[in-house]
Amino acid sequence: MSYAYLFKYIIIGDTGVGKSCLLLQFTDKRFQPVHDLTIGVEFGARMITIDNKPIKLQIWDTAGQESFRSITRSYYRGAAGALLVYDITRRETFNHLASWLEDARQHANANMTIMLIGNKCDLAHRRAVSTEEGEQFAKEHGLIFMEASAKTAQNVEEAFINTAGTIYKKIQDGVFDVSNEASQSYGIKVGYGGIPGPSGGRDGSTSQGGGCCN
Amino acid sequence: MHETDIHDLSDDADYAAASKQGSSSVTRSDSSKRSSSSEPEDAQIVYLKDNVSIHPTQYATERIGGRLKLIKQGSSLVMTWIPYKGQSSNPRLSEKDKNLYTIRAVPFSDIQSIRRHIPTIGWQYVIVVLSSGLAFPPLYFYSGGVREFLATIKQHVVIVRSSEDANVFLVNNFQDPLQRTLSSLELPRSLANGTPSSSFRGSPSPSDNNNQETQLDTVNTSGSGQQNNNRQRQKTQDPARDLSIQVLEKFSLVTRFARETTSQLFRDSLVDGQGQSQSQSQGQGQNERRRNNWASKDHKPLEMAPIDAPIAPKDVPVPSDPLEFDKLSLVWGKPRQHPLGVEEWSNFLDYEGRIMDPDALKKRIFYGGVEHNLRKEVWAFLLGYYSYDSTYAEREYVVSVKTSEYMTIKNQWQSISPEQAKRFTKFRERKGLIEKDVVRTDRSLSFYEGDDNPNVRLLHDILLTYSFYNFDLGYCQGMSDLLSPILFIMKDESEAFWCFVSLMERLGPNFNRDQNGMHSQLFALSKLVELLDSPLHNYFKQNDCLNYFFCFRWILIQFKREFEYDKTLRLWEVLWTHYLSEHLHLYVCIAILKRQRGKIMGEEMDFDTLLKFINELSGQIELDPILRDAEALCVCAGENGAGLIPPGTPPALPIPEASMYQQQDDEVL
Repeated sequence: MSYAYLFKYIIIGDTGVGKSCLLLQFTDKRFQPVHDLTIGVEFGARMITIDNKPIKLQIWDTAGQESFRSITRSYYRGAAGALLVYDITRRETFNHLASWLEDARQHANANMTIMLIGNKCDLAHRRAVSTEEGEQFAKEHGLIFMEASAKTAQNVEEAFINTAGTIYKKIQDGVFDVSNEASQSYGIKVGYGGIPGPSGGRDGSTSQGGGCCN
Repeated sequence: MHETDIHDLSDDADYAAASKQGSSSVTRSDSSKRSSSSEPEDAQIVYLKDNVSIHPTQYATERIGGRLKLIKQGSSLVMTWIPYKGQSSNPRLSEKDKNLYTIRAVPFSDIQSIRRHIPTIGWQYVIVVLSSGLAFPPLYFYSGGVREFLATIKQHVVIVRSSEDANVFLVNNFQDPLQRTLSSLELPRSLANGTPSSSFRGSPSPSDNNNQETQLDTVNTSGSGQQNNNRQRQKTQDPARDLSIQVLEKFSLVTRFARETTSQLFRDSLVDGQGQSQSQSQGQGQNERRRNNWASKDHKPLEMAPIDAPIAPKDVPVPSDPLEFDKLSLVWGKPRQHPLGVEEWSNFLDYEGRIMDPDALKKRIFYGGVEHNLRKEVWAFLLGYYSYDSTYAEREYVVSVKTSEYMTIKNQWQSISPEQAKRFTKFRERKGLIEKDVVRTDRSLSFYEGDDNPNVRLLHDILLTYSFYNFDLGYCQGMSDLLSPILFIMKDESEAFWCFVSLMERLGPNFNRDQNGMHSQLFALSKLVELLDSPLHNYFKQNDCLNYFFCFRWILIQFKREFEYDKTLRLWEVLWTHYLSEHLHLYVCIAILKRQRGKIMGEEMDFDTLLKFINELSGQIELDPILRDAEALCVCAGENGAGLIPPGTPPALPIPEASMYQQQDDEVL
């Protein structure tokens, strides 16, 4: 399937916060509580449309356990966007955000767009982290923030698509130089119908919406 | 030539059997001349030699004796070698095994060359190389007769002695470059030196050769029982094994060179070791030309020895050619057998239940695995929960002692009260992690599916108990993947626990906080790929993939996610035999990579693409061919391969002095 741009995303956060479920909800529009835990990394992909341009999101879903941090760090290379996920019902997953962020800052491109997601917001009765705390953390660290639920699909589309929107805007604003091969180090590939350079106008590429692909 | 005069072999069991066979061969050969229906009317046996054997492995018990014949059919000459029926000194060597090596009527028009080896002491042997590039295993003439063999051939076919090596006889083809190519077989040292990173052993000098032949005989006469007892020693220092590995190495070179020769790459240029050393000035240009040949002829020689000039993947399409690789495993990897069954298993046990020949058992399992209903019993041995020399009664006793020991450890965490747990963060964390993971482990399997499945509870209890048994290592993701099949087979909680403990003795370092166990295996893997496929190694190097993180999951949980569940069980029991190598899993990695090398290099995959590609191989890999390839690679790598794997690399048992499982921020209780 042709795309104007391909963005590489990485999903990070403590084990069991729902990274794989968020990905599955986004790519397959379903919630599967019983799935195998992630060893190393798993991949997902989906086409979205922004500004009438087909954009392919290639998403890396990583293992969350501390022991695997050293290998997870090698996945940051060339990611355009990151979803940093915590579980609103488990305080410690929120407490660990700073260390995840440090990894991301250290190993990823400085212009990587990071979206903070407080997952499992359907479990409000077991909430251990308030929405305000999440907002506050995001503000302090310059992240976009959203609470979401992989189970009910609330805000899942938005989380992935808003991140893509932000990256797309960075391209339009000329933050990334997508006119040459260097764009790949930002986690962006220009595909068929892509516009080289920040100020390109619309072209005739077909818009591809919503479907899943791999 | 009469080696028996030079060196008395009469006390060698195999030799004795062969001699017996030989003594009665004359009458039978006469009758075969008259009555054999397999030979056409005009066929005439012009040469017949008994006691010509092949040595599929370094073990004397596995040699296969047979009869070599040259038959004249009209104007053509054919060669046959038929193994003797039911005469093997090893009853476990099946007829099927033997038939694999049978040479049925090969016309000399298909033969490229014959290389003879006439050591001063020891058996003469010849290696017959086909035009297709395949070579038959060395044929050992226990009763001499190589000279006569060659003389007979000469009467019927045009053969020419290589101008540069008096021991190479070229059949059908005697162009100059070819002669030089074949004669270069003698120079693996110079070939190896062509690649600075290579550690291939050089060819022994004639005097070395003699010494080793002598040692080979010494070992041969020592009998097979002793060999089994001394497997460990043999592995590390047995000169006979060294020699056989050298022969294997040369053999792989023979195969390779012949293939390259027949592919006509060398008709106009010569770029192997000797050619290079003789004409350094031309070397570079010839490399270039050969590269072009590959590209233009769409041909890729087998990359077994690290002697190739690096291919530039950006310029050259790398055709995927699994057929070439299949040929390798047909020569070196034995066909897989049916799994070990109940009846056969009982033959391995003495009347009190001891395993009489653990090595034979391991070998049997290596080639065929174990029938499912036997796994519970056999795995306990393979994993080390039962010792091979234990009796039924002793095992019963062990089970009862170990069960109560397990309960004691389990009770340590079961007795933690909620109040105590509040002040025991480490415990709460581990318990929480394990609870989260056991419900995400193989739940699609009926054994673990459904709510409140008692087996999921057992996974939890065993893992938490293990994290107390080995508190320093604790719990890490991936362990539930390793435990799941063990519990599935053992069913019993305590037995599953102790089998898991045994497995973790070897694989524990995979889960160290600093990942040192994983890194040492990935490092060894990169070294082995450098040895066995230097172009692929160079490709990974150029593309920043040398960390081999794309093989991380394979190694961490022993390919558990790459194969269907039942195939994983099969693979694991094969790996656990540690037959051939403790590190067969690394050769399994290489076997898989080799089958994909054309794709990887042809599509110019970068790190990200490669990682995704490898991940997506999950469920697509056929186990049996991969095992066969892995065996072939392991045999080809030989001692050189083993030498590249640092001591203590998992699943080798850790070096005793090394401090295990150091955790940086684990606080002492």
